[in-house]
Amino acid sequence: MKSVIGLEIHTQLSTKTKAFCSCKNEVDAEPNTNICPVCTGQPGALPVLNDEVVEYAIRAAAALNCEIHEVSSFDRKNYFYPDLPKGYQITQYFHPIATNGYIVLDNGKKIRIRRIHIEEDAGKMFHSSETITQATSSLVDLNRCGIPLIEIVTEPDMEKPEEAREFMEKLRDILRTIGVSTGNMEEGALRCDANVSVHDDKRSSSRVEVKNINSFKFVQKALEYEIKRITKAMEAGENVPQETRGWDSSTKSTVSMRSKEAENDYRYFPEPDLPVLVVSKERIERIKKSLPELPDEKSKRYVEKLGVKEENAKILSKEPELSEYFEEVVKAGVSAKDASNWIVNEVLGLFNADGLEFKGEKVPIKHLKKIIEYTNTSKISRLAAKEVLAEVYKSGKDPDEIVKERNLLQVSNEDELIAVVKEVIEENPDTVQKYKNGKTSVVGFFVGGVMKKTKGKADPKVVGKLVKQLLDGES
Amino acid sequence: MISDMTVEELMESVKKGKMKSDEIVDYFKKRSEELDKKLSAYISKCEIKENEGGLNGIPFAVKDNMQLEGTKTTCASKILENYGSTYTATAVKRLLNEGAVALAKTNMDEFAMGSSTEFSAFFPTKNPWDLGRVPGGSSGGSAAAVAAGMVPFALGSDTGGSIRQPASFCGIVGYKPSYGLVSRYGLAAFASSMDQIGPLAKSVRDAALITEIMAGKDPKDATTVDKKIDLLKGVENSIEGMRMAIPKEFLKDLSPDVKMVFQEAIEKFEKMGTKIEEVSIPSLKYAVSVYYIIAPAEASSNLSRYDGIRYGLRIEEDTIDGIYNQTRNKGFGREVKRRIMLGTFTLSATYYDAYFDKAQKVRTLIKREMDEVLSSHDAILGPTTPNVAFKFGELSSPLDYYLQDIYTIPANLAGLPAMSLPMGFVNNMPIGLQIMTKRFEDAKMMRIARSYEKARGKFPMPKLNGGDER
Repeated sequence: MKSVIGLEIHTQLSTKTKAFCSCKNEVDAEPNTNICPVCTGQPGALPVLNDEVVEYAIRAAAALNCEIHEVSSFDRKNYFYPDLPKGYQITQYFHPIATNGYIVLDNGKKIRIRRIHIEEDAGKMFHSSETITQATSSLVDLNRCGIPLIEIVTEPDMEKPEEAREFMEKLRDILRTIGVSTGNMEEGALRCDANVSVHDDKRSSSRVEVKNINSFKFVQKALEYEIKRITKAMEAGENVPQETRGWDSSTKSTVSMRSKEAENDYRYFPEPDLPVLVVSKERIERIKKSLPELPDEKSKRYVEKLGVKEENAKILSKEPELSEYFEEVVKAGVSAKDASNWIVNEVLGLFNADGLEFKGEKVPIKHLKKIIEYTNTSKISRLAAKEVLAEVYKSGKDPDEIVKERNLLQVSNEDELIAVVKEVIEENPDTVQKYKNGKTSVVGFFVGGVMKKTKGKADPKVVGKLVKQLLDGES
Repeated sequence: MISDMTVEELMESVKKGKMKSDEIVDYFKKRSEELDKKLSAYISKCEIKENEGGLNGIPFAVKDNMQLEGTKTTCASKILENYGSTYTATAVKRLLNEGAVALAKTNMDEFAMGSSTEFSAFFPTKNPWDLGRVPGGSSGGSAAAVAAGMVPFALGSDTGGSIRQPASFCGIVGYKPSYGLVSRYGLAAFASSMDQIGPLAKSVRDAALITEIMAGKDPKDATTVDKKIDLLKGVENSIEGMRMAIPKEFLKDLSPDVKMVFQEAIEKFEKMGTKIEEVSIPSLKYAVSVYYIIAPAEASSNLSRYDGIRYGLRIEEDTIDGIYNQTRNKGFGREVKRRIMLGTFTLSATYYDAYFDKAQKVRTLIKREMDEVLSSHDAILGPTTPNVAFKFGELSSPLDYYLQDIYTIPANLAGLPAMSLPMGFVNNMPIGLQIMTKRFEDAKMMRIARSYEKARGKFPMPKLNGGDER
């Protein structure tokens, strides 16, 4: 059995004001404070398109390799729901602003984007129970109502749930890099509906739409669950109806929301309150030229020009803040190899352990540079370096101060170390015998013993040399 | 008599110190008070003055589908019976900024759907010329109030003739500006692609003066245009040598009485040195059909916001669908429901191509044919209405009502400026002449109308006592 997956993605654009009125684009303000006659659907209020929305939509379309249309138009999608004050959503149904784009996955597969269009978000509802049908009362917050969205519709080009997840992650990285959206799925700034069907040579299932997927992990999980469910039903000879299902992250399963027959007839028609949207060729070109380097290009440059390991390059190029940080560290004189290794393995490790997003100011570049230098010149051991870095991350203290306070300077002076090495050798006559019998790997054991006695301050290279000298000298 | 005076005359007498603006306001308040008992032109009264300016102390009335902070804006519907405006429509605001004083919100057909004001959810308005007849509609309250001298001018809205038809029935001037000239912000939408606010007034010059103040780009209405149109300058100029077109489609089914009055008007145009030519605009026969597909379609969407959730009437039920059903069932009148159903049907996925899409194409055709005629002619002339005001209860089927708009609809479909001004009487009831020009040639239309008005001479007012020094 093979599966076919297509995605419909909604992205909130982080413009200053809403799409069709001048209310602030701020979802988490006190409920119903960022509202006006327009976004609450008062009689006589009219929409006026916010030009920043056009700018952001074109930027996204350009970054996603789309054909951008000089003429597009708005339409109304009509349905009743308490979070939709006008009884219709303004969208672009007949003539979207962009079509025919794509994102390339790491395996080289091109996932085509059918269209991108501009639309407005609805309000937010709070029910006294789980759903509106069970609720005895519901509250509506219209702060979110009218916030600009772009909807991105892919072709059904994905075959595996992990491809869908990778697509979503790549999309998020691009949107964040070009600065049009926070791309945060958990907060609803990026939402994904997945369409999936399963087929083999003989049979093919209906298309099932899965909604309410609110994290990157769940994109994969929900699709895996759904494909399994459909496959099982097909193998049992059951009918798979075309329907919309909702992902329930608490039970890790999907439940039926509505059948195809119960779908709304949205009665789309051209929005008479808004003139056609015309953008000049020059404007489109200007926006295309102003795009920053995108994650994939950046990653490629890191590998080819800077010699960064591919897996590190990928991580570093995802987030603009991270890649800028990396480039600053390199600019400060650290080799790209050291910088990338340290940032990916050590610095990011600290943020990940706390479940936090990377913030450059928590590890000042000059501090990180010092730590790397001290390690390379054996001024401190690698172990000590990690300790210093963790302390910088925690308190922001200068590494010199930390090294001094904790007495972490590495001892590489042979005269200072030779006594300890002798001590360790004398304490372990059995192991000395093993060495004499030809088992040279026990050198490490003696080095470890010295490191322990010096609380990690000894330079292991120097210690190793001394151990060999003494053992060989005795024979 | 003060009630006979035009806005210009009132302004002049204030300027010359003959009257104080307070006296004018008091006079019209008192006259309104008395005459409204007979005519039922107002849904609510108010006295809103916000500023000093050129229109200082000039009272006016506003159709009750325009937002005016400090009043209820009901659209003559139960669903908005207690809706208090939270803001003021741009067109109204601009008049208030010039010192005009809003005295009333006028009766209308519910949500502007109708041509008699019988479809107000509250009460019908009576024609000042004959209390047994309708004033026309949907801006019937505004037309009756101006004709009766209750206010010197009033605002109406015109989607398919709702300013011009009542102006014709009440013997006054009614002007629908070019689409995009006056902001619709604050006008409860009926059919957004055709709605336009305009004045009902006693003279062509008043209509020009008032519209000049209201017109112009509004950042809150994306369909307004950035065009400076000078309606008064040159309005007195001669129209000699102009070419007037009369579509034979307008004359085909005209009653002999109306035809005779129209013929007299045409003769005046000939005397003024204009060329009169009969033309044919074949697609006009589809205008009413096209209008009654597009207007209800847009209306069905525009009226979706009246759902009982955030404001207006709400009938409590156990389910959300129950609230929607009962609120809209109890809140809307028959005609409004009829049009919502019509529009919902023609927009449905199954019928969109056959009805809405086709109607849009025919609309384009009508527009093109009218533009063609207007590229070789200065204006299109015809009667505003096929007949004079009818009696209450005289028309029965919806179609009879819909055919009232047969001459006025084309201007809305094509976005053209159009004016109705009194041209005579049939059976002692007034009837209007309609002038249409190219889109944004409103100034030329004004000039033609003013020339005719001068040639016609003073048009009488209905005889109604109230508040006057008689």
